[in-house]
Amino acid sequence: MMMASMVANGNRNGREGEALVLKGVDPETCMIVFKNHWAQVVKILEKHDPLRSNTSSNMAALGVIGLSSGGPMRFGGPIPGDEASAVQNYVEHMLFLLMEEDAGQAGAMGPILEFVVMENVMERLFLWSLRRQFTDDMKLEQLKMYEMIVGQARQPLLHHKPVLRPLMMLLSSCSGTAGPEVEAELVSLLNQLCCVLAKDQSVLELFFHTSEDQGAANFLIFSLLIPFIHREGLVGQQARDALLLIMSLSAENQRVAQHIAENTYFCPVLATGLSGLYSSLPTKLEVPGEEWHCLHREDWLQMPTLVQFLNSLEFCNAVIQVAHPSIRDQLVSYIYNGFLVPVLAPALHKLTLEEVMTTTAYLDLFMRSVSEPVLLQTFLSFILLHRHENVHILDTLVSRINTPFQLGTVSLALFQTLIGLYCEDVMLQLILRYLIPCNHMMLSQRRVVKERDFYSVSAAKILALTPSCCSPEHSPPPLRQLDSILWSKGTDNSPNTGIKETETFLEEDGSGYSCVIGSEIYLDVNYLHYLYNARLGISSCTRACQVWSAPYDGEDPPPEEYQPSALEETGARGRQAQTVNPKRSHPHPRPRPPCPPQTTDPAPTNHLELEWDDSYDACPVVSPEAAESSRPPQPPAAEPPKHIQEMRRTAIMLVKGSYIEESDFQDDVMVYDLVAKKDARDTVDRCRPSRETQPELEESEMDSEFNLEEDHFKESSLQEKDEVPLSNGLSLPLHPTNMEVNSSEVTKGSKEVKGHVADYNSNLQSPSATEVGDDLMGQYEELIRTLGSDEAGTGGSSPVKTVDKEFRNPVVTPMEEDEVDFSSFSMDTPELEKQHSSLFGTKLRSGSTRSHSVPFTGPFVSVLLSRLENMLDNSLHVNLLLTGILAQLAAYPQPLLQSFLLNTNMVFQPSVRSLYQVLASLKNQIEQQASTKKDFPEMITSAQHCLLARESSLKGQDTNSGDSRDCSPLVAGRMMKSSPPSQPKTISLARTEVFATVLFTEFLKELAAIAQEHSILSHVPMEE
Amino acid sequence: MNLNPFWSMSTNTGRKRSDGEEQSGHQSGEQQQQRASPARPSFGKKQLPSIPKNAVPITKPASPAATAQLANGTHASYGPFYLEYSLLAEFTLVIKQKLPGIYVQPSYKSALMWFGVIFIRHGLYQDGVFKFTVYIPDNYPDGECPRVVFDIPVFHPLVDPVSGELDVRRAFTKWRRNHNHIWQVLMYARTVFYKINTMEPLNPEAAVLYDKDVQLFKRKVIDSVKLCNSHLFDQPKMDDPYAISFSSWNPAIHDEAKERMFTHKRRPEDHHKGLQVSGLSWVKPGSTQPFSKDDNPPQC
Repeated sequence: MMMASMVANGNRNGREGEALVLKGVDPETCMIVFKNHWAQVVKILEKHDPLRSNTSSNMAALGVIGLSSGGPMRFGGPIPGDEASAVQNYVEHMLFLLMEEDAGQAGAMGPILEFVVMENVMERLFLWSLRRQFTDDMKLEQLKMYEMIVGQARQPLLHHKPVLRPLMMLLSSCSGTAGPEVEAELVSLLNQLCCVLAKDQSVLELFFHTSEDQGAANFLIFSLLIPFIHREGLVGQQARDALLLIMSLSAENQRVAQHIAENTYFCPVLATGLSGLYSSLPTKLEVPGEEWHCLHREDWLQMPTLVQFLNSLEFCNAVIQVAHPSIRDQLVSYIYNGFLVPVLAPALHKLTLEEVMTTTAYLDLFMRSVSEPVLLQTFLSFILLHRHENVHILDTLVSRINTPFQLGTVSLALFQTLIGLYCEDVMLQLILRYLIPCNHMMLSQRRVVKERDFYSVSAAKILALTPSCCSPEHSPPPLRQLDSILWSKGTDNSPNTGIKETETFLEEDGSGYSCVIGSEIYLDVNYLHYLYNARLGISSCTRACQVWSAPYDGEDPPPEEYQPSALEETGARGRQAQTVNPKRSHPHPRPRPPCPPQTTDPAPTNHLELEWDDSYDACPVVSPEAAESSRPPQPPAAEPPKHIQEMRRTAIMLVKGSYIEESDFQDDVMVYDLVAKKDARDTVDRCRPSRETQPELEESEMDSEFNLEEDHFKESSLQEKDEVPLSNGLSLPLHPTNMEVNSSEVTKGSKEVKGHVADYNSNLQSPSATEVGDDLMGQYEELIRTLGSDEAGTGGSSPVKTVDKEFRNPVVTPMEEDEVDFSSFSMDTPELEKQHSSLFGTKLRSGSTRSHSVPFTGPFVSVLLSRLENMLDNSLHVNLLLTGILAQLAAYPQPLLQSFLLNTNMVFQPSVRSLYQVLASLKNQIEQQASTKKDFPEMITSAQHCLLARESSLKGQDTNSGDSRDCSPLVAGRMMKSSPPSQPKTISLARTEVFATVLFTEFLKELAAIAQEHSILSHVPMEE
Repeated sequence: MNLNPFWSMSTNTGRKRSDGEEQSGHQSGEQQQQRASPARPSFGKKQLPSIPKNAVPITKPASPAATAQLANGTHASYGPFYLEYSLLAEFTLVIKQKLPGIYVQPSYKSALMWFGVIFIRHGLYQDGVFKFTVYIPDNYPDGECPRVVFDIPVFHPLVDPVSGELDVRRAFTKWRRNHNHIWQVLMYARTVFYKINTMEPLNPEAAVLYDKDVQLFKRKVIDSVKLCNSHLFDQPKMDDPYAISFSSWNPAIHDEAKERMFTHKRRPEDHHKGLQVSGLSWVKPGSTQPFSKDDNPPQC
């Protein structure tokens, strides 16, 4: 049947022509014309009415409403073409008349519409088209016809069942089987209907009722849209738009909400669709270059599958934003249980570094794409609380920061995203919970936490670490730009015009006080930019943190309540909470995300995850045989999952020779280990009640395992002594098969001892190490004295003087200590290893006695500082990310965080490493390099040129990029677009130590600026 | 005494100015309309300084004199920043104290010079409106205490009848960093008008009169207050955009300002776009558990 298509095609031109014709024609005439046309149509219709011929197979099959009129009739064979086209012409005119008709008085139907309703015109026309072969073409035409009259009629048509009902029949007949063209038209019409619905909710009831007439309490237009949710291209977009209209409708209409949540598959389709789309993403990304670290807009635009996934994710985000809470909750629940847990969690634990790296990059992109708090919460609770194979996702991610190559970098980028959310829960889990007990500082220092740095003492101390080769005084302009800020009265208005002539002049003011302009001092104008950015960063962070539950100022939350010794109590509370919200860790008939386990402070990890945490990259693989020979038989679950072992192996093979381990992290990990062991015990207690819900097998397994752990714990030091050396690979001589691994370990070990004796020298007990230990202790004490000198109240003496003194005559930090050079020993000197092992064993023994209060600032800080410590060996982009993250952290206004990162006066526990300590050791390393390498100064200059060139090219890119989230103001984001850097001719990026030196100097300024702004901003009451 | 406007970084001062305006500036609109402070363009972080074209390298090393000038011995390039921020910190403290009847504002040229005005609301000096200037030594906080000089020498035992300087030093014999703050000086400047001290006076006449003939003292004080108030609308003594100046009530300017003050509406800080400014928290107050809030959706 051609009529509809003609109608539809003639739509634009024809209609306007018609409208012109109709203008001025009085309604009565129109009515008469309409009736005449209809009479002609009816004649033809009745002639072929199948009901008059008892062979109404079509109708019976369709089970639709009976027709009004009856009467004897012949069997109607195929309808002659002339009759079909006649009907088509008449209908075309009739529809124009209908569309152009205005509503009657007070919203009454116009006469034509009334006639259409009375005579059931639309339905009879629909049946007429059914009578003939109902092909896709015909569906298309009918759809277009409705689209036109629904969209263009001047009076509401859908309120009338005789119009609505045939429309519904048409829609349902189009579902499922149609070809792409019909689908496109169907979705377009559905979209239009949703627009009508959104404007006029009174139609809504009719949509439901009409469906009921058909025997199913069905919200047809909604159900029809669902299959198109994940469709790509225009059709998918139109369908999602239409669905969103219904979603916002649901927010106000309980019935719609209930229907969608209870009677449709909307949420499961949406969530599992994500899983489906995810599975079609590339499992390995082709990484454009070594410095690539996250998926930027220009990256993912090249990947159609990723675009499609992001569209769907964005749609979920939008649905959650507008939909009724019942739908919203159901959807996030399905996303959690249908996508995050079953799909993303395993993907994060795949076999190869590349795959895991890819998944991490995806996760980072998703976190940046999601904006709705509820959805963010879903993702975050997955990251923070979900355990995959008994390890928190968060712990896994943190441990990966330390992995070589892209995985570490991508993980860093993910954390940059997470920290940028200003989310209390994230910060709590990452850092704050370790700082709340205030165990990381000396007891006397607690009052210092909230103290304000009036005189920029910390900034001065930080800047005093500027390496001499980069010091403003020593490096000549133009590169170390030293234009003084001489904005005297006359030149005030153009403060940024660059270098000004230095000048001296005298000025008399009214009161006889003369002002002298300093002539010889150069100011680093660049520093002003840092101050400005620090101000922006801190104030937006402070504003964001206003929604937080506590100020984290060393008083609230009260440290006393969160001492490790208070764990029992916390555990009890956790238990209570758990009975209310029993943990569900196995599949649930009606998917609901599992209630995350209540964790205790400060370390909610159990022993099992540590096995992998500390050994993942810090230790060589411990083969199962090795484990068995040296410790009691373990349940298989105690071994890290196969794929992790596998990945470890890959990692170590990759790193051999090129990657130097962050051994200090290892040290922290041992402490972590101890705390966690205690925790594991708590966990057992806490978990017991809920275990009952677990399958029997699992329960018994768990139980034996935990009992075992308990026994371990009780056996205390002896047991640990055996265990820890193992986890450090020091008992490996017993297993010659692991020689290769061991050799790298020894190198690591030696570096560790060389580098960070400070962290455990206080515990050195073994006689051979005593001498070294004492010496180091002395130095350490000196360091602490220096750090605390201002605090001790040196009267009028300026702490800045101290800084200066330090600067000229740097305090010898233990890091410089070279006396213990284990690198001279090869791995075939077992005595040494024994010594080594006894060293760790001693450390542990002494540690275990005070394991309750072992100060530990958390794995995240630990791993960040470890990587920072390696700054000189890190590539430029890793350093950009690292310093970016640390600066981001430093901008947080919470006094606990601020004092830990920025307060150089703070006296920490000896075992706690502070940012300042790491920076000081870096300065020393740099000074050493600078003194030994002759080309260092000129290399510095080249590196500065190179970085400047790079920066200005990035600036140009920035203006073109439309993706605001990718253009975070963070330097790392700015300076590290995926495009390859312009390689400077004079210096290779391989000279990491040179680039690191330049960056280090800039980082000091950045930190100092943040410290300075804190001293002002954090103490001014916020606006509002 | 040498003041060093070199310390004054105009962009910072401009920023500070807006703070000051919020907190202490609008004494019911007497103050001069603010000049547009220079806007600072936004910069990226971790920027290296730009390389000026054809810049002639300045080879002249920093002279010993310049280094010596830095009394607190900091890194020469940053010393001014430390001083500036110390003073800003002091200024924020003043704001925090909400001293009754005292308003101060750092000058545009130098953070070491603050303009102030004090309103005396009762007592012998009731209705007095005294403008003053605070001079802060450039080796702050390691130097002597700041000086307070009234624009017009008020008749007061502790105010020098010629220079108008208030004897502050008697209260702060030794200026101790971390213990002494500029707000204390301002507080002191206010107290002297309510609690008259005649010991070791800078104005012996006033001291003697106060002790011997209070009535005459009172009359002289009244005259002095009148004199001061009659010069209220004078041009500021110092040509500084941030100097405090009074003008008679002009509804066109002042009504709006007054209304803003009374409605306590603060101008929202310029939000920069693209950054998420609202933070997230699902932590129940009093808990340190993530996602412990009660109104969490069911999956948590």
